[in-house]
Order: sequence, then structure tokens, then C-alpha cells
Amino acid sequence: MHILVVDDDPLVGEMTLAMLEEAGHQVQLAEHGLDALERLSEDASIELVVSDLHMPLLNGLELFQELRERGLQQPFVLLTGDDPAPLLAREPGLSACLAKDAALEQRLSELLAQF
Amino acid sequence: MALDIKKFLPRFTGEARDHLSRLTSGLTPLASGAALDGETLNELFRAAHTIKGSSRMLKLTSIADTAHQLEEVLGALREGRIQTDATLGALLVRGLDALSALVETVEASGGALPPADAELCAALAAAALGEAVSSADAPAPAQSTPTPASAPNPVPSSPPATAQTTAAPPAESAAPTRLRTPDSVRVRMDKLDELIKLMGEVVSNQAKLRQKLFEARTLDASLSALAALSLDAEREPLTTQASAVHQFTLALRDLVQEQERLTTELNDRALVMRLLPLAIVFDPIAPLARELGRELGKDVQCAISGGEIELDRQLIDHLSDALVHLLRNAIDHGLETPAERLAAGKPRLGRIRLSARQDGNGLLIELEDDGRGLDRERILAKALQKGLIDPARVATLDEDAVAELIFQPGFSTSAIITDISGRGVGLDVVKRAIVENLRGALSISTRPDAGTRFGLRLPISLAVMRVLLFEAGGRAFALTAHQIAELIRLPPEQAIQIGDRPAMVLRNEFLPLVRLTDLPSLHAVAPAESGRGWLVVVIQAAQTKLGLIVDRLLDERDMVIKPLPAHLRASGLVAGMVVTGDNALVSVLQASALLELARRLRGETPIVIAERSAIRHTIGGQHLLVVDDSLNTREIEREILEAHGYRVTLAEDGLDGWQKALGGQFDAVITDVDMPGLDGFSLVSRLRGHEHYRSTPIVMVTSRQKPEDKQRGVQVGADAYIVKGDFNQSSLVDTLSNLLG
Repeated sequence: MHILVVDDDPLVGEMTLAMLEEAGHQVQLAEHGLDALERLSEDASIELVVSDLHMPLLNGLELFQELRERGLQQPFVLLTGDDPAPLLAREPGLSACLAKDAALEQRLSELLAQF
Repeated sequence: MALDIKKFLPRFTGEARDHLSRLTSGLTPLASGAALDGETLNELFRAAHTIKGSSRMLKLTSIADTAHQLEEVLGALREGRIQTDATLGALLVRGLDALSALVETVEASGGALPPADAELCAALAAAALGEAVSSADAPAPAQSTPTPASAPNPVPSSPPATAQTTAAPPAESAAPTRLRTPDSVRVRMDKLDELIKLMGEVVSNQAKLRQKLFEARTLDASLSALAALSLDAEREPLTTQASAVHQFTLALRDLVQEQERLTTELNDRALVMRLLPLAIVFDPIAPLARELGRELGKDVQCAISGGEIELDRQLIDHLSDALVHLLRNAIDHGLETPAERLAAGKPRLGRIRLSARQDGNGLLIELEDDGRGLDRERILAKALQKGLIDPARVATLDEDAVAELIFQPGFSTSAIITDISGRGVGLDVVKRAIVENLRGALSISTRPDAGTRFGLRLPISLAVMRVLLFEAGGRAFALTAHQIAELIRLPPEQAIQIGDRPAMVLRNEFLPLVRLTDLPSLHAVAPAESGRGWLVVVIQAAQTKLGLIVDRLLDERDMVIKPLPAHLRASGLVAGMVVTGDNALVSVLQASALLELARRLRGETPIVIAERSAIRHTIGGQHLLVVDDSLNTREIEREILEAHGYRVTLAEDGLDGWQKALGGQFDAVITDVDMPGLDGFSLVSRLRGHEHYRSTPIVMVTSRQKPEDKQRGVQVGADAYIVKGDFNQSSLVDTLSNLLG
């Protein structure tokens, strides 16, 4: 699957990328929400977005809303350092909201298996 | 699941240190009771948040917990829920210290950290809620005074004793009080690339400076001559002037020479920054070899040497794919099964040896197996069948010339779906990658039953290359140093004729000679014969050598080779251009293409008859069926294929494809996998069940890249499996021409 990872922390971004590549996906990395928006508008082959929540300028939720407003319907997975449950309640359109922790790799791969 | 997260630990440490130092400098004013503005607080909050995020993913729980509490406090401050005071400042600094201490143990402990300081975390949590921080939680500042403070007291007799006798500080404060000076800085790759590119330009410019110096010296000499010839009345001022100019020229010379030395050194240092040890690509090879061996039912042992040699990062990036391809090739085709090995009296364990060593101006990487060697008869048969060689020349080809055939486009002797990328292309791709992306050379040598050795000759860096400039027929040409074996001055009487062709004897071997100016497509005029004998540049590509007769040598230096624009690349004769001191463009010739030209000139049939383009021409008119439910994809594929001379029929989905396949006879079928109704897998297995399509080439083009999917593609009977991600024109066309060729 062709996946776009969005994270302003290059280390976390690259770890996420490594996890997904390990699982056999084709992944590219965007540094922030605007970067992601640009890539998504230009590259229609991206099938899924995995984005961090806290980012400067355009955060993960705003990115999600902006995408939907532009009519881009790719599944969107939000990653957060905090408790994911309230976020999912606030934005039920998200495909999933996952906590960034040691179990992330496991949960991401379970999730992606459903697509 | 297999991702080894540990390899990120050193990076984590580096980045956490950066964030911590930002936090430290930001929080220090707090300890003296000062307040922070919103902007700064926001930045500090983010720093703590980032540490928390990455440490969590790395299972560094104690760091994550401490950072989390720190973040909570900073968040409360930012939102104005609590106020700063000196006590809170001290608590935060204590939190930072604890965090730093943990971060410093990450690498040494391999990520196994002690639990977080519960009391500290509780104090921070309480502070975030605005509860008073009890004074007991604040550290007593005097206690942490470092031991070296006692140093000003000179006690020359026994310094260790002094340290021990300094009363209080317990063991814990002794270690962490050392100053940490980072010994590395992270720089983004593109910044480094920019620098090195600029460096290349500076080196080129140096040549122009040298040229100007040369001109200045000529002017100087003519002025002196003029002064000597002048009339008495004018001689005095003219001589003074000439000597002043002479002094100036000498000073300029010294300056240019000094500048040249510095530029060279600067260039060397700049290049070193981008070097990485080969171990980065070598280390994963051994486990990969064993894994591939298991997959293919062969026992493999892999010995690796030379991983410590450093190579330009740009080359390393490209090298990995090529090595893996060669490795797979060696295990798949080279090594025998354990049973075959035992029967042949060989040890059961197949050996692969990967080595690297410095070799002249570059690097030689060898991948060797002790397998069965290449099967000469099978290769020849295949080459003849594909029309790659002239039957009349078969007998004259030696082992290595036969082996070289496997690098020809369109040559592949085994079921191509096992290729690493599943693209259905062979070693010619590896060779092209090495020659084009790495500016290197790939050679092969093989002995029956003893094994095969691939040799990759690479430059150390791509930024600048050693280039020899020479003149022939009034034009300047260049060759990169690694293609030149030696330079010889040959007295005319030592040249001999073999048949009607000039040649010479070089260390008991015949070396064919050719005048560079006689080669077609170089558009140079033959010069007048000089009496001093021939200047011979011996070039070599793979196993063959050729003596090029040139008029004179111009220069030898490190230069930036500029790539040719795409529309000029087709001939393969010119690898690129260099700019000389006087701003002239000089073509850098490609040894392999020169050898081919010379062979043609001598009237020999080239070893390889069919060039790539020729293969493409013959396929015209073959009829293909393209099945894809995406209109876009269909149209793109149609465009590509028609541009290469195929006739194309489109089908909108599996069922449509099936009906069209039954309605006409196609030479090959290209199908998507995910389609409504009948999907690609079902379509292929149906086609295979039909007598007309039992052996028709079928290519699956899909976005599914899991090994299971590829496997399934193989099971249902597809010949090749192309993943849309790495889909480009040539992979589809190469695959088809392989299958149809």
C-alpha cells in the first residue's frame, strides 16, 4: 500500500516509516501538515495517511479536516502522544487514532491488515 | 514485527540532547524567579513533548514518564494555570537533570533503563496541578558542587587522595559532573551535497585560474622580449615596467600554487565528510545470504571482508540493490543444492565471499561463489536462440567472453519471476545501474565447477573524477582514469601488422591498435605523421584491451564530469563533458563504446549483434491485451506500449478481458489484480486453463506488493509481477521484450 507518514519529529517519522516499510508498504514522509497537503493534492496514488497530531502550523486534526474539505477521501490514521479515545470521539471520521508507544507497530499492522 | 527499533537509539540520544540543551537554556531563568513569555514556553513544551513521543516508541519508559510530567508542568505554565517561582524553577531543572542522566545511559544500556524517579515525577505532577512544592523536593545546591572545585588547591603529592578526602559528595555526583562535549553534528544530506557540488565548481575554477596564470606568463615573456628589442631611449622605462610585470607574475604564480594546494585539500576534506563505511551495505548481506539459502534449499556460508573501507554515500545508496541482485543470482544460479555438492565432492556448505579493497584510484568489490560456474553451453544456446551472437563466432569466444553475454539486455536463463523486484529483468539492469549510476564497471569470470566471480569496480566518489585529457586530430578528448590501463610511447618500428591491422606486443600479448581519428562518429581529422613514434593510450573495459593512438597528452586532473542531456545519451560513446581551464567543453569517452567501434572498424562482427533498439524494432505488430479497471492506467499502458510498437487492445475488467481473450489470439496479456467481478488472479488461472493461453506471457501489474500476493501470482501462472509503485515505462517494456523476445 502507498502510505504518507506525516510527523514534524524526524526521528518518530522515520521510525513510523521504518515500521511500515518493514511491513512491506511503500511509504513517504512529510515534515508537516502543509507538506502533506501538497503531496496529497499532487500525488493521487497515496492510499492512506498516518499523521501525528501535534505539529506546528497545521496539526493532524486540521490536516484531516482540510483533506475532507478538499474532497480527498483517503483513510486517515491519527497518532498521538496522549490518550487517543477522546480524539476519536471528537472526530469519528478518523479511520483510527493510535497512541504513540511501543505497541504502535503491532497495532498499525493489525489496522492496515483490514484495508 | 521484525523491525529492530534499537538501531534508532543513537539517533534518539543525539536528538534528545539537543532538546534538553534547549530546555536547559530556556528554563535556567526560571530558577532565578524570572517569568517566561508564551512563545518560549510553547517551544519548551514542544521540546519535552518530542522527547516523550520518541522515547515512548522506543520503549524508554522512564524517560517518557519523566518527560511527560515535565510537559504537564510546562503546559500548565503555558496556559497560566500555575505561576513560576524559584522553587518551581529548581524542580524543573531537577527534572531536566534526571532526564539528561537517563538519556546518557540509553546507548550504553541498549535501552534498558532504570525506572523513573517516582518521587520526582510525583513532585512534578503535583506542581502541574498547582500544589505547593514542598521544599524538601528542591535540591540543596551546595551538594552538587563538583569535585574539581578543589583543584585550585595545588596538592602535588597525591591528587587522588585529595579527591577522596573532599568530604561529602557521594559517588553519584562524581560521574555526571563531567562536561559533555558532543563529538558530532548532524547535517542534512542535501546540505552536504550542495557543499560538495560547490566544491566541485571551485575545483573546476581552479583550472581556469591556472590558465590565466599561463597567459600572464606569456604576456610577461613577450613584454621582456619587447624591452630587449626596443630603442635605447625607450629601453629604460620599458625594462623597469617589464621587470615589475615579471615580479607581479611570479607573485601571482606563488599565489595560484598556494591556492591550488588549499583547494585540493579542501576538496579532499569535503569529500571525506560524505564517506560512509561499506559495512552499512555489507553487514546485512550475510544474514540475507543465509535467508535466501533457506528459501532456495541451499546451505550458505558468507564471508565478508573490507567493510571498513569508506565510500561516498551517493554510491552506497545505489550499491545495495546491485549487490543484493548479484547475491541472489549467486545463490539461485551459482550454488548447487547440498546433494549436488556432495556428489561433486564439494563441502555441503556453499560459500559466498564478499570483499572490498582499494584498487588504484577506486575500489574493487568482488562477490564470489564456489558453485558450478556458468554453463557455457547453455549460455551459448540461449544467446544463439535470441539472436544475440553470430553463430560463426561461437568457437572463438573464451570463457569470459561467454560469461559477459549474461549482461546482455534480454538475456535471462531462468524463470524470471524469482527476481528480487519481480520485474522480470536480468543482470543487464545491474550492469546498467553500475555503469550509469555509479560510473563503475562490472566484470565476470567463471571456472566450470569452481565458481563464478563478479567484480565491481567503483570510483571512491562521484563528485570529482580523475580524468586524462588528450588531443587527437586537433580535438581534445577525455577518458576517466579507471578506464585507462597504461600510457605507452611506441617507436613506429615496433608496431606490427596482424593480418592487415596494426597491433603491438605488450608483455607477450597482442594489443590491437587503432587511431582514435579513424573511429567513425568522432569527426576528427587525421594528423600529419610525427617522427617520434606513437603515443598509445591503453584502454580497458571488462576483459578486453585496446591501444588508442593519440597525438598528445594535454593534462591529467580531478574534474567534475557533467552529465549529458538525455537526448544526447543514446550513442553511449560519450559519458559526459568536462570544462577545461579555458572554458572549452571536452567529451569524456566511454571505453566500452570505443572497443565496440574499433571492432566494427576492423570489420569484425561485433560479439553482440542485436542492440537493445534492434530488439525493440522486431517486436512491432505483436498484439497485446491490457486488462485494467482504471481508465487512466489503461490509457497510460496503452500509450507506453504503442510507443514501443505493440498493438494494444483494452479491456475494462476481468470478465471483459476473458471475453476479449477468447475472441482473439493475443501474444501477451497484461492485467491488473484488483478488479470488480473477475479479479486478476482468477483471470490468469482461467487463461492458463485455456489451450490458447497455456504458454502466452502474462504480466500482472498491481499495487499489491506483499510477497504472498506475488507468490499467488506465480501460482496462478503469471510470468512476471510488476508493482505499480516501481512501475515505470522501461520495467513494463523490458519485461515484455524479455518474455516475447
